[in-house]
Amino acid sequence: MNSRYVRLGVLWLLLLTVPWWLPLVGGYTQLGTRVLVYALAAMGLNLLLGFTGGLSFGHAAYYGLGAYGVGLTLKYLAPSTPLALVVGTLVGGVAATLLGPTLMRRRGVYFAMITLAFGQLFYFIVVRWNNVTGGEDGLTGFVRQPLHFGHHVLPLHDVAFYYLVLFCFALATAIMGILLRSPLGHTWVAIRENRRRAQFLGIPVERYVWASFAISGFVTALAGGLNAMLNNFTSPLDLYWVLSGDFVIIAVLGGMRSFWGPLVGAIIYLYAQDYLSSLTDNWQSFIGLIFILVVLLFPRGMLGMLRMKARSA
Amino acid sequence: MELLLYDAFNGLIVGMFYALMALGLSMILTLNSVVNMAHGGFLILGAYLAFTLEPYLGFWGALVAGPVIAMVFGLIVERVLIRPIYKREDPVYSLLLTFGLALIMQDVARTIWGPAGLPFAIPDALNSPLSSSFFFLTGYRAVVVAIAFFAVVGLMLVMRYTRIGIRIRAGIRDLETVSGLGVNIYVLRAVNFGAGCLLAGLAGVLAAGQLGLTPTMGDSLIMPSFVAIIVGGVGSFLGSVLGGLLIGVAAGVMTTYYPAASDAVIYGIMALVLIVRPRGLMGQEGMFE
Amino acid sequence: MSLLRLQNISRSFGSLRALEDVSLEMPAGELRAVIGPNGAGKTTLFNMVTGLFPPSSGTVWFADRAINALSAERRTRLGIVRTFQITEIFPDLTVFENLRIGVETAARSNALPWISRGRRAALERRVDELLAVTGLAEKSERVVSELAHGDQRVVEVAIALSLEPKLLMLDEPTAGMGDEETDNMVSLIRRLHDKQRLSILFIEHDMDVVFGIAQRITVLDQGRVLAEGTPQEVGADRRVRAAYLGEAA
Repeated sequence: MNSRYVRLGVLWLLLLTVPWWLPLVGGYTQLGTRVLVYALAAMGLNLLLGFTGGLSFGHAAYYGLGAYGVGLTLKYLAPSTPLALVVGTLVGGVAATLLGPTLMRRRGVYFAMITLAFGQLFYFIVVRWNNVTGGEDGLTGFVRQPLHFGHHVLPLHDVAFYYLVLFCFALATAIMGILLRSPLGHTWVAIRENRRRAQFLGIPVERYVWASFAISGFVTALAGGLNAMLNNFTSPLDLYWVLSGDFVIIAVLGGMRSFWGPLVGAIIYLYAQDYLSSLTDNWQSFIGLIFILVVLLFPRGMLGMLRMKARSA
Repeated sequence: MELLLYDAFNGLIVGMFYALMALGLSMILTLNSVVNMAHGGFLILGAYLAFTLEPYLGFWGALVAGPVIAMVFGLIVERVLIRPIYKREDPVYSLLLTFGLALIMQDVARTIWGPAGLPFAIPDALNSPLSSSFFFLTGYRAVVVAIAFFAVVGLMLVMRYTRIGIRIRAGIRDLETVSGLGVNIYVLRAVNFGAGCLLAGLAGVLAAGQLGLTPTMGDSLIMPSFVAIIVGGVGSFLGSVLGGLLIGVAAGVMTTYYPAASDAVIYGIMALVLIVRPRGLMGQEGMFE
Repeated sequence: MSLLRLQNISRSFGSLRALEDVSLEMPAGELRAVIGPNGAGKTTLFNMVTGLFPPSSGTVWFADRAINALSAERRTRLGIVRTFQITEIFPDLTVFENLRIGVETAARSNALPWISRGRRAALERRVDELLAVTGLAEKSERVVSELAHGDQRVVEVAIALSLEPKLLMLDEPTAGMGDEETDNMVSLIRRLHDKQRLSILFIEHDMDVVFGIAQRITVLDQGRVLAEGTPQEVGADRRVRAAYLGEAA
């Protein structure tokens, strides 16, 4: 019990002081923000994937919808960062909630296929509706707005924005953590472990999977919205199935069965992507190789392997 | 009216590509229980190799060589990469694996042949229209329809009447029992995967002649193929084929009236089917439930 | 009043008559065994009583209530709980976590995204009770997939118990067990019947177990009830000996 609090304490201490130590190891604050955004997206996905057993290969759709929600709000609705985040989160989350019922009676690979196809549906809507979304060129013309606290105005340059993202990250992970420790979370895990048995216990499995799908959609949408604000730009690539795959590999690489696995995965994956793309033009092949190696050699992910070592000790 | 016919026919041709892809994907999905995200990679493998070999083998030789090499590559991939993970219960692993493979194949194609589109030469004889009133009915397109048709029918016949075809179909229903009956399921799965890749390669070569070659053509053809399977119904090969044709024609028709929505309409049909008849037009109950 | 009453139950699958005019009456508090050769229809009977499919004809009565139309989930909530021939547990979770799901289900708390510390403690106490009754207390932190087969089957019974069954149906509880594990399971079943006054209906192939603990035995053969009675009566029945025991002996 104690060691858990110590580890959490260390983690949050590190996260809170990123703008100080990250440049010392050759990084920069914005990179830290990117890691948090991807980690949040992957953690949202992992609520469904790792903890409920729902294989979604189309989560980039909600990420992208969150991004466009933010961008369009800032561009056309009101120059308010909090409003934009709320709208973005809602757009992505509601989309996920509405899609839930179409997926419910399917499992495994068929479930994944449908999520993949729906992801592409949203991709094409965004690409084709180009007078609103800017089409393939992406959405520009918006900028993250300073936060207003009464009379104080806090402009969101790099460091301040990092803390906003960290705040959202903390909020979302707190909620997810509470959920996973609750009976609802226990039920999700039971469904993952043995869906049939859960059904035989009288649990209406489909409704729980739906709830998990919906909540994960909201979290991933929030991440997408934050990403749009990070870059003051978003494009259809934020909805593309390749990004969905990135989220899945990040979760698996870090360890699907661990709460913080996706954070570890995001750190490793983004670092690898950065490093490889500066090294070679064929970084995509190496990324693909990472996918294959993780599947064949490290299926339990980094934290999963650590946990196995601890168990056998 | 003529424009509508033109678009519809174009859509039918593209629908044939979808059908070939969907058929191969469906075979691999049902017997190997793998969502082959790399199917597009096998498509471009067949296409690009046919392109490279065409100067030496001619059009018809390349048409045979491309898919066959794609099939061989598929057999290697199945043996080396996929067989180790059959026993994994979680389907996320096969998805990620084929996904990674797709990334590699696309990147390699781009590196070797360049990112720009390449023209795929088809024999002059096939270039001219077969009819003066339907100018779009070129010889090549007739050949595409014929080859695709025979490929599909041929496969159906193999599935129905040959020993291995029957075993594959039985394996789709109950692999464990088939294995218990003494059938070598390793060979079965390998052959099935290879056949799926053969179809992908064939679709690639045919599509190259029609649409030209780009490294991203695999991407653009694989997604509608998934939709074709969903629309046609998982577990029904005929459904996958018909689903592919249906969405191809629908997209084609849409270009006449509202071009901007022509690819979205594919997903629209899918959404409709999922709401109204979730198991697909010809799907069987109980698959993946 | 009988707890479970099957009234002229028949069930066909196409041309296969799995159950033919089966009638059975079991009062509350009884420990009843269902035996019969393979294919006699025992598991079909279980599946039908638990609601996997309805009978082709006849009525199932539970506590004087006709339940033909009730779904499997509904029947579980009514108190008809079963275990399976092939152990169905939650593999990567600990024994404690396995039982906790059942306890939370019984307490209708599955969907709660948050519970008070008091409630949480109460639920955990209930799990501890179950661990004590089933003798699993020492293994509560072990991951069930790493347990011996016999222990896994005890976990399965424990999960069934956590649902507060009125009728506990055990499908071949000692399947695949060695002598020591069988003894363990037998004494558990005895404890549950004697101390907890549970009504237990179980399918068994191990005749030592059956004749050792059952109060009454129902013998099925080819979908029909061949005989029914106390172990002495059944053991002496010539038809039973010929059709079933005779083969084994």
